[in-house]
Amino acid sequence: MKQIPKETAAVLVEVKGISKGFPGVKALSGVDLTIRAGEVHALTGENGSGKSTLSKVIAGMHRPDEGTIRIDGEICELETPADAIARGIVMISQELTLAPTLTVAENIFMGRLPKSSWGKIDWSRLRADAVQVLDRLGVHVDPNALVSDLSIELQQEIEIARALSTDARLLILDEATSSLSEAATKRLLELVVQERDKGMAVLMITHRMPEIYAVSSVATVLRDGCLISTVPIPQTSEEELVRLMVGRELGDYYSKQDIAPGELVLDVKALAAENGTFAPTDLVLRRGEILGLAGLAGSGKSEFAQALGGAITARGQVQVAGKPMALGDPRATIRAGVGYVPDDRKGCAILPVRNIAENFAMAWMDRLTRNGLISLRRQKSEVASAIQDYGVVTASADTLISTLSGGNQQKIVLGRIVRRQPDILVLNEPTRGVDVGAKTEIYKMLQRAAKEGAGIIVISSELPEILGISDRIAVFFEGRIVAEFDGPTADEEAIAHAAVAGVKRHPQPTVTKETEV
Amino acid sequence: MSTKPKSGGFAALVRRIFQSRYAGALISLVLVSVFLSIYQPVFLTWPNMMNIVKSNSVGFILALGATYVVISGTVDLSFGSATTASAMAFGLLLVAGTPLTLAILGAIVAGLLLGFINGFLVAYAKISFFVVTLGTLSVFQSMALVVNSGTSVSVFSVPGFSALNQFVNGNIGPLPVLLVFNIVLFLIAGGVLRFTAFGRSLYAIGSNIEAARLNGINVKRVLLLVFIISGLTAGLASVVQVGRLTVASPNVDMNLLLTVLAAVLIGGTAMTGGEGGVLGTLIGMLFLGVVQNGLTLSGVSSFWQGALSGSILILSVWLGGIRGVLRAQKQTQLE
Repeated sequence: MKQIPKETAAVLVEVKGISKGFPGVKALSGVDLTIRAGEVHALTGENGSGKSTLSKVIAGMHRPDEGTIRIDGEICELETPADAIARGIVMISQELTLAPTLTVAENIFMGRLPKSSWGKIDWSRLRADAVQVLDRLGVHVDPNALVSDLSIELQQEIEIARALSTDARLLILDEATSSLSEAATKRLLELVVQERDKGMAVLMITHRMPEIYAVSSVATVLRDGCLISTVPIPQTSEEELVRLMVGRELGDYYSKQDIAPGELVLDVKALAAENGTFAPTDLVLRRGEILGLAGLAGSGKSEFAQALGGAITARGQVQVAGKPMALGDPRATIRAGVGYVPDDRKGCAILPVRNIAENFAMAWMDRLTRNGLISLRRQKSEVASAIQDYGVVTASADTLISTLSGGNQQKIVLGRIVRRQPDILVLNEPTRGVDVGAKTEIYKMLQRAAKEGAGIIVISSELPEILGISDRIAVFFEGRIVAEFDGPTADEEAIAHAAVAGVKRHPQPTVTKETEV
Repeated sequence: MSTKPKSGGFAALVRRIFQSRYAGALISLVLVSVFLSIYQPVFLTWPNMMNIVKSNSVGFILALGATYVVISGTVDLSFGSATTASAMAFGLLLVAGTPLTLAILGAIVAGLLLGFINGFLVAYAKISFFVVTLGTLSVFQSMALVVNSGTSVSVFSVPGFSALNQFVNGNIGPLPVLLVFNIVLFLIAGGVLRFTAFGRSLYAIGSNIEAARLNGINVKRVLLLVFIISGLTAGLASVVQVGRLTVASPNVDMNLLLTVLAAVLIGGTAMTGGEGGVLGTLIGMLFLGVVQNGLTLSGVSSFWQGALSGSILILSVWLGGIRGVLRAQKQTQLE
């Protein structure tokens, strides 16, 4: 490992006092970050800690409200991603930005196609250049293949190839390994090391411990939009890093109560998604029990929740309170006594152009209607008491829901379901994009529902949350439940390893040793 | 957080109107009316007013149905053709000697059936509403031409028809029948939107179809129903049209298609769905009707009418868009 010593390497990007707010949320406040050439810098923190926002500020996708960005010591105003790319800053995010109907080569050199005389595209040079970039990556794919014909994983590699072909000086990887298999992850990390040794800087956003320790020499930890610490790796232990990320006493925050589990309320046998995102799965749940489902993005945990909520088609047997439930039909799900809250609040939960009252009443249509007519008086009183019970901060029930903060929107979305007192609650990322205050409110709602006898399944990407609220924890890996833990005694590291490696007790973080040259 | 407007009081009412989605159309309507009252003395006379109502009543009936469709986040491009096809069915039934009430029923059933075809293809066969109704626009028009080899059906001399003709041109007390009929339809349409589960579901689906589905709204049935309602208004409009004109023509009035959709959009019902209502449509229709009337009174060639209503449509949606942007900016600043 011939890494350039940290102190002498040139500072490439220096970020000072960056703040950024979004409606209702302060995403970053006064964050500093220094990235040196030839350094892999890990940027880590819980979901919602602001690490993605910070990387987007550096990549020119968000403009900061306050603070400065210096590149090569010079203050820069990055107004668009193109500005950042012109200065050698390239970001690869989780979401793909490829044009599926174009070829691999065209995608790699999008906007920079080689031209011959008369402005004609030089196809043979395009192909040769593409082959060269792909070879560097070790990816064997026909440059003339259509991107839409490739697997998601290969598409991700094309995205990386595009970044490499631009002579990037700072490569930002925003959870770029989350949709990659182990082998592809290994290849990517090898590449990161290889480019680092050539002098490229890499900012790696991740909360996977093995990756951090495999390639990075320094890690910056964010929490709730604030800089917590920048520490050297591997001198800082994994436990210390986790402590910095979580940072708070977890006990009371989650309002966890001891509730004796009651009778069996949910019996799932061989439930499998039609789209193949998760394999036949068995599961039981008792009244008053909170089951946490952990796993990485793409592990199938979210789709499992969608199948239980009737949002996607699935096969298998599901019994709710002893009665079979029809699958793939939200109406049947609701009738059976299952309340489902989707993870994509904006896309699947709220009516953005309607007010709070109507957003609430949508889930109550059957109970507020007699002979097809809605009782506006009953609607008014139900909405008013829901607003009060769940602490929704708003001027009135006539306020447009999209003007509320994410936390207050979520209180309505959750409240309209919980208030129906379903036998089972299936909550997909219930605290995503929600501030800390609203989170505690939401945890209280869950405890109350459990106490009233509901069986609750919470899907969450935040391990501390899963640990804080669950009586029992199941971990999804590649479409299967690979491990189960008792909530109160579960340990974060064991769950994380089950989620990353698919086994309960990790032998070795496989990536680590082999990628260090 | 906005300050809550005091309920009641004239000031509150004025503020509510100015904040409403149809404020632009209402202000324009008032301005144009004031202008015409000053420069065209005939404008403000009772017969002229009632003339505006009568000549726009077919369009208004169709616009009520179109409002429902647009609120649901879809569009029905075929209602003009459906009206023409229903009118031909009505005319042929009358000529074949069918009693008037049965023939009226037949025209309405024809409209319902055509609406059902649209709704079934959109909601259950899951074909894009744009494709479906663009296709049926052509199909229904063609059917109207085929049934009588492309020629009009004159029902003037059909015994029994005169009852309908006299009725649609007649009065109830001082008010024309068509005015009363339109007001009744308007109240029903508004009431259904506001007070029924179906009406509320329509807004929900138009605003976020997946959220509506996940919360137990029967999306397919509501969408089917909304196209059936559009067909129903086509059937009703065809009866009024034939009743007034005494002839069923197999050619679709393209200007009608534009006027109706323009009235809906000018009235503040958003093309993107989930917002709007029939009060806005009423104001939009009146505005277009008054402008058209003003042109006629001023002796401007009727060929200009299309250019004007088309321009008004684009202008009003553009201004509405600016208003939306301004509102959004104001909100971001508040937060």
